[in-house]
Amino acid sequence: MALLEINDIHTYYGNIHALKGISMTVEEGEIVTLIGANGAGKTTTLRSISGLIKPRRGKIVLDGEDIKKYAAQELVYKGIVMVPEGRGIFSKMTVGENLDMGAYSRKDKDGILKDLGWVYELFPRLKEREKQIAGTLSGGEQQMLATARALMANPRVLLMDEPSMGLAPVLVEAIFDTIVQVNKEGTTILLVEQNATMALSIANRGYVLQTGEIVLSDTAVNLQKNEMVQKAYLGIE
Amino acid sequence: MNNLKEGFRYGLISYGIILYLNLLGIPLNFGDIVLTIFSLLIGLLSFAFLRKRPNHLRKNLRNTLVQGLIIGLVSGLGLSIVTYIFASLQKDGINVAQVFAQVKPEHTGALTGLTKEEVLGDVSVLPGLLQLTLLFTFAGFIGSALTQLPVEKLRKQFDSKSGLKTISRALFVLPFFFYGLFMLLKVEGVQIAGTEENNLGMLFIFLFIGAALFALRAVEPGRQKSILVILLVVLMLLLPHFADLKQNAILGVVGIFIVMGIGLNIVVGYAGLLDLGYVAFFAVGAYAYALLSSPESYVVLNLPGFEGVNFWAGLPIAIIIGAFAGFLLGVPVLRMRGDYLAIVTLGFGEIARLLVLNLRDYTGGPGGVINIPAPILFGMDLGNPRDILYIAMAFGLIVTFFTVRLRDSRLGRAWIAMREDEDVAQAMGINLVAIKLLAFASGAAIAGMAGALYATRQVNIFPDNFALDVSINVLSLIIIGGIGSLEGVVLGAIVLIGLPEILRTVDEYRIVAFGALLVTMMIVRPEGILPSTRRKRTLHVHEDSESTSTK
Repeated sequence: MALLEINDIHTYYGNIHALKGISMTVEEGEIVTLIGANGAGKTTTLRSISGLIKPRRGKIVLDGEDIKKYAAQELVYKGIVMVPEGRGIFSKMTVGENLDMGAYSRKDKDGILKDLGWVYELFPRLKEREKQIAGTLSGGEQQMLATARALMANPRVLLMDEPSMGLAPVLVEAIFDTIVQVNKEGTTILLVEQNATMALSIANRGYVLQTGEIVLSDTAVNLQKNEMVQKAYLGIE
Repeated sequence: MNNLKEGFRYGLISYGIILYLNLLGIPLNFGDIVLTIFSLLIGLLSFAFLRKRPNHLRKNLRNTLVQGLIIGLVSGLGLSIVTYIFASLQKDGINVAQVFAQVKPEHTGALTGLTKEEVLGDVSVLPGLLQLTLLFTFAGFIGSALTQLPVEKLRKQFDSKSGLKTISRALFVLPFFFYGLFMLLKVEGVQIAGTEENNLGMLFIFLFIGAALFALRAVEPGRQKSILVILLVVLMLLLPHFADLKQNAILGVVGIFIVMGIGLNIVVGYAGLLDLGYVAFFAVGAYAYALLSSPESYVVLNLPGFEGVNFWAGLPIAIIIGAFAGFLLGVPVLRMRGDYLAIVTLGFGEIARLLVLNLRDYTGGPGGVINIPAPILFGMDLGNPRDILYIAMAFGLIVTFFTVRLRDSRLGRAWIAMREDEDVAQAMGINLVAIKLLAFASGAAIAGMAGALYATRQVNIFPDNFALDVSINVLSLIIIGGIGSLEGVVLGAIVLIGLPEILRTVDEYRIVAFGALLVTMMIVRPEGILPSTRRKRTLHVHEDSESTSTK
């Protein structure tokens, strides 16, 4: 059974039918990517999963339990943690305090300490800047911090919303390297990206979203070879 | 040449300000000390104008001093000309006061050092005006000279840890010095500066408390700090015994506002919810205790066999009802942020006042609730100002302990996260609904506590005691003191609630001074006088990042 199973969800913004029956699965230990153009509904899908907006119809099942009934903050306790778009760090807190907030949902002090050591190992830059105000970090460092903070919640599924947004290519590569590393250490990742080239290069499987519907789903390798995907998202004629 | 023009412009602006104050009638009200006040103002203006200029100009000593002279000269000459014209008109028997209500012969006299008869008689005002002009010029010069002081450096030193160490010795002594001065006034026959009233003693008490706060902040934790804390606490506990009735009464009000300030600090400072209707909970607490205890209240009169509760039983009830009112306000405003929240809470504050005003049958309407009993402990009546002050101090300590524990708890961290970004906070697993309601309820509970104390202190309470200005005062005092900082609340209450009591004699200008103080504070030190470290850090983020990047 899949770890996360999304079954025909319909999400509305007022009268606008944003998601028209999306179904997808994420297996334990996978990196699954959701690619698509602006306005296709990628972020809405993530927001629906993480409880920030409630789908009107459909099921979201985590490990056999329908989690649609839970509020956003309760889902964190269930293991669904999101790295918000545009980084969304607490810019007036220090790096250390941000990470501390990430572990807000946890009570196991030893585990938190262990994970803190782990994320500092993953992102040595953050260790150097532990006492610095987060708002003064560079864009790339802020993205690292947002990711690290989400990891501090000990997620079962990490939802990442456009981690490459607004970053220089060099930094994008660094971020994706760490995503792979985080995944290798056992965290399941659902990655939403506009940068399809990068996303498909690290993912196991991918879904292509167009105007609120999934038009294609396959392994990442096959998607990279798909003519339609190449034309529309990879910039290959 | 350019120099002169700039100085001339600043001079004209200063002159405008002085002229405005002049026509408002400052000389009439202050009498002989008006020249001192005006000179100080000119000095201050000159300092403020010249300090803000680009560095290379400010560093040019001659340029700066010349400009200072010009500022003083222009405003002095300007005021002299106007005063001369007024004096001439008055000598000719024309009543200038018909146009400018405050410009009477006494007014002109105050500016020139003459009596009313001399102004209207043959004595020339010119020597007086010459003196005025010279004084202003000198003041402008002093102001400009002050810009040469390394203010920024001093300020940085003051804010930095190592700098604090060097001045902490001075700060260590200062509170004891002021306490000594206060006690000196108690000695028979001793007078300082010829004052008869005990306003000066009051001022020394305020200076003592203020200096104590700064000293506590400056001293490093350790044995030295423990000794200082113990000494200051002992002096503080002895204070009500030495102070007279009026001083204790003023300190009691300050104490009640400190308690309220600490409560509002939770809502505004920690949780970032701008609450302009805080007075509502104060009123709820006051009326809760009043209605349950006063023999003339609706509740006591209509409940057969119920003779009213005493203070110690009424207090927890007032706190609980206050908290419940906070909860009630919290529910409808859960989805509101920023400006909208401020407007709705503002309305709530007014609703509370109008309710007690109009529910005549239950609350006594405009007649209020009278004969509220004093707290009684072990058979002692604690209704006198001194004991009320002791109770206020105890309340202050209790709520301080309570808020410090809250601030450092999981809930406190959740509040701070919510203040920064509600959406992200939720994504961290924070239940926004719960923590918002808790913030409102704990703030309101503390206001209810302050309200009960206020009711017993006042003996009779009326709806007018709970008008909008209470909310504004409490909010202002935490802003002035430094949002989020508990010492700041104490200092803010002294500056905004205590000092005006001393200045009763110049009552009309309290609000003007109040406004000016707020504006100045926001420009010069937006984080407040004694900011919390978090607040200071974020408002000076750029300076900090510069220093870290050079490391």
